[in-house]
Amino acid sequence: MANREVIYSTCKSCHGGCGVKVTKEDGVIVHIEGNPNSLTGGTMCSKGLSSIQHVDNPYRLKYPMKQVGKKGTGKWKRISWDEALDTIEAKMRDAIDNYGAHTVAISQGTGRGYNRYTHRLARSLGTANIITPGYVCHSPRLGLYGLVTGYGRLYCDYHGWGGEFPKTNIVWAKQLEISSADSEMCYWFMKSLDYCKNFIVIDPRASAYATRATLWIQPRPGTDCALAMGMMNVIIEEELWDKEFVDNWTFGFDELRERVKEFTPEKVSEICWIPKEQVIEAARMWAIDTPGCIQVGSSLERQANCGHTLRAITCLMGLAGNIERPGSMISWVLPETGLIEDVFLELPYTDEMRSHVIGIDKYKMGAARTCNPDTLVKKVIAGEAPIKVWFSVGGQQIVHMANTKEVVEAIEKVEFMVHCDLFMGPMCEAADIILPAAHWLEIDDIYDMHPRFMIEAHNKVVDPPGEAKSDHWIFNEVGKRINPEAWFESEEKSLDHQLRKGGLTWEKFSENLVSGCWGPDQVYYKYKTDYWKEGGGFPTPTGKFEFHSNHLESLGYDPLPVYNEPGESPVSRPDLFKEYPIVMSTGFRQPWYFLSQYRNIPWLRSFMEFPQCQLHPDTAKQYGVEDGDIIWIESPRGKIRQKLHVFPGIKKGVLMATANCFYPEEPSEGYHGLMISNPNVLTSNDHLDPMYGSPDLTCLLCKVYKAKDEELTEEVFRSEEYGFVPPKDEED
Amino acid sequence: MRWGMVINLAKCTRCHGCIAACRIEHFLPLRMTWPRLIALETDDGFSVDVSTYPVRCNQCKEAPCVEVCPTEASYKREDGIVAIDSNKCFGCRYCVIACPYQNRTYLSRKRNPNYFPEHAKTGFEKKGKQIYPHQVGTTEKCNFCMERIDAGLAKGLKPGIDREATPACVNICQARALTFGDLDDPNSNVSKLIREKNGFVLHDEYGTEPSVYYIDYKLGGAPSNKAPIEAQTGSHIQHLSSVYAPSKEKLAKKNAD
Repeated sequence: MANREVIYSTCKSCHGGCGVKVTKEDGVIVHIEGNPNSLTGGTMCSKGLSSIQHVDNPYRLKYPMKQVGKKGTGKWKRISWDEALDTIEAKMRDAIDNYGAHTVAISQGTGRGYNRYTHRLARSLGTANIITPGYVCHSPRLGLYGLVTGYGRLYCDYHGWGGEFPKTNIVWAKQLEISSADSEMCYWFMKSLDYCKNFIVIDPRASAYATRATLWIQPRPGTDCALAMGMMNVIIEEELWDKEFVDNWTFGFDELRERVKEFTPEKVSEICWIPKEQVIEAARMWAIDTPGCIQVGSSLERQANCGHTLRAITCLMGLAGNIERPGSMISWVLPETGLIEDVFLELPYTDEMRSHVIGIDKYKMGAARTCNPDTLVKKVIAGEAPIKVWFSVGGQQIVHMANTKEVVEAIEKVEFMVHCDLFMGPMCEAADIILPAAHWLEIDDIYDMHPRFMIEAHNKVVDPPGEAKSDHWIFNEVGKRINPEAWFESEEKSLDHQLRKGGLTWEKFSENLVSGCWGPDQVYYKYKTDYWKEGGGFPTPTGKFEFHSNHLESLGYDPLPVYNEPGESPVSRPDLFKEYPIVMSTGFRQPWYFLSQYRNIPWLRSFMEFPQCQLHPDTAKQYGVEDGDIIWIESPRGKIRQKLHVFPGIKKGVLMATANCFYPEEPSEGYHGLMISNPNVLTSNDHLDPMYGSPDLTCLLCKVYKAKDEELTEEVFRSEEYGFVPPKDEED
Repeated sequence: MRWGMVINLAKCTRCHGCIAACRIEHFLPLRMTWPRLIALETDDGFSVDVSTYPVRCNQCKEAPCVEVCPTEASYKREDGIVAIDSNKCFGCRYCVIACPYQNRTYLSRKRNPNYFPEHAKTGFEKKGKQIYPHQVGTTEKCNFCMERIDAGLAKGLKPGIDREATPACVNICQARALTFGDLDDPNSNVSKLIREKNGFVLHDEYGTEPSVYYIDYKLGGAPSNKAPIEAQTGSHIQHLSSVYAPSKEKLAKKNAD
């Protein structure tokens, strides 16, 4: 009789959080499904389910290795963990002692759950030059929410705990239905739609629900701020704003009123390339049918006006009183375990660290705790940023950052680089030492992807392959070698430490699976109580919800939201527009991939073998390209090839390219086909958001033309029977 | 009793979770796909429709595949499920051609059997050979997870209500776009949905009488945004954590306020 065992854990295949039930037979995973007794009711998506092919994947990194040839040539030699850690320690010590701790950079991806450990490692070493994708994903939102409300995290209340679901649901440049990103859960969002009166989708491209929405607005990429300003204009002109909230709890309404005056529906219609009626209709729904939520997508953070765009959207929330009401935008009361991020906040962030943050002089909102990655790239190339050691975990900076050619040049210049990952990939190839990391099914850890109303447990189901280790272990070991006081005897001691405020140990928590605060324990209308401030109010300098920000003004920014055109748009660069007549966004993401991941998972790769871009049928016809063609997409920085999907659901004159693509099966030389289809070959790192330093990744200009057969020479074009793409059926 | 499924086109997000769940449940060989998703993207000049049609064997009442099968390998069960006895199937593929919905797939003898073609079978594949073997040279299709249904019924569970007795794809769907139940029972969840949301079948004109129905509607337009009491208490998730004690007093106080 086979020995069966069931283990419950938490999925981390996107930002994650879905409860998982795994069945093992004789030690082998034979089944994965959702845990019915979890926050997500037993549901999961293709990414999480395909985790079986991570655990079982023969291409996993199993041992530490060092590069023995030139970077990017893929000549590796297996080494021991001792040799790897000794080398890393020696290089870090040399950099810290001789050049200063700030010459050690720590980088991460969006996260296998290591965010808090990367930050702790950086602080324990004494550097704040942390490179994260945050500045193009979520950080600007948190910063701006913090600026306006005093509390950095506003989430959508899709749960009904306060008695109401959102009556008006806006989804702005986001596909929450395909991944539980940025601390929001797709399962709850979709449930809340059953109670929603107005469902508004704002997206130039039809996401899954767009054509069934009450209203679908397709603005020209990069003009979202103007749309938000226009909606505020209508709300104010028609006197629809929440008088009680605005009169009593906000600061700067009159200035805002003055500022949005010029953004009439007619003007917004002209800027955004949308009918003016849509601006009016959306504004009325939002202000009249309250409560409501705005689900903000990170595409808005991949624009060089992101600071003001997000400020305008946050002001729009306040204008309708959609703050802290049941069914509106809310800051969660944390579970008893408190802020898990305290594990890095408890280490000091010193003035010395702050003074060396790359980009802090210019991007004052963004580069406060982490550096500005694009500035770092420019400085490394110019020989001005003495990054001696780059310790990288998970993220493919080489793929996701703007202007790939420059990023490659900079990364190749870094003297010593370490990368921890599950698979070989572009970032590994650029490293001197690679460390094999564990999958979420192979670790014990606390799931806390951004603080919210619960934390969950990752329970180890199987051992990692070979000598692979959890990121937590790797950080603890590296950290201990440089600053032993700041790290822990073991991973379990660290987890106990992180859970102590809830009176919990890891052992107990692992059994409980979750620590949360929900239902009647969540607190609404905190500003009307002593929660933040005695006598009520918001934890801002004025104690109010700040339409007008004195703090921004003191940093030299406009205290009110302001619309700026993208760096390269038909309006800002009519000269370029003549040669590059299509507005390009790199915002296309598929439900079965998560950013640069999963193209080496056969079950997932089978859903889309080659990266696609989308054009409207009329636009495709205009430029002589057809559905299924491999086309060149060209910008002033370079050109790439993707497969064209002619799609009636995209705005005319706009191209949507699949982001973050490389080919795991392509050879090491050329960083696994990094230049073939990755749209960041086309993006610019010259025009950045003044507050956050975010580049225009989702609003640029391009031209397209069909690729000739003789130009399709790489492995990926040759046959379908290679690498991770399942072979075609053979009949018999 | 006739098992049926209702698929909500308004909710499907094209996430492919149903396909992945099926691959796990039945240890499907590479490229073998029982359920599929068909994209329908149209513009009639007035409005754009971007839809995803999840399709799988319709378990037709008048099943052409059963009629053409020369060996009676394809047969109808009393509960309406069309099943294939792979011991009787010799791979003639008449049924593949006969199915007007193209929901049957032939498992080729030459098919590369490994998930990672250049490597040995993974642990999951090896286990699958014991737990849910596939017979090359036969035809396969969705069977509504009849093994789950049969085992569940034997335990006194209700398919479509109790998870253990319900098809894997229905359980996994994040959007809750799939509903399973008894079409013969007018009060079942599926019968009600078909009645209330004007359920339809694909290609009704074929006269195959499918057991898979579709519903479609505009999102939004809900008459009320008031949360039912169980949503307010969070009672459906409270049993999760022994740390968390349900605050009945707090709720009582809240309602009194």
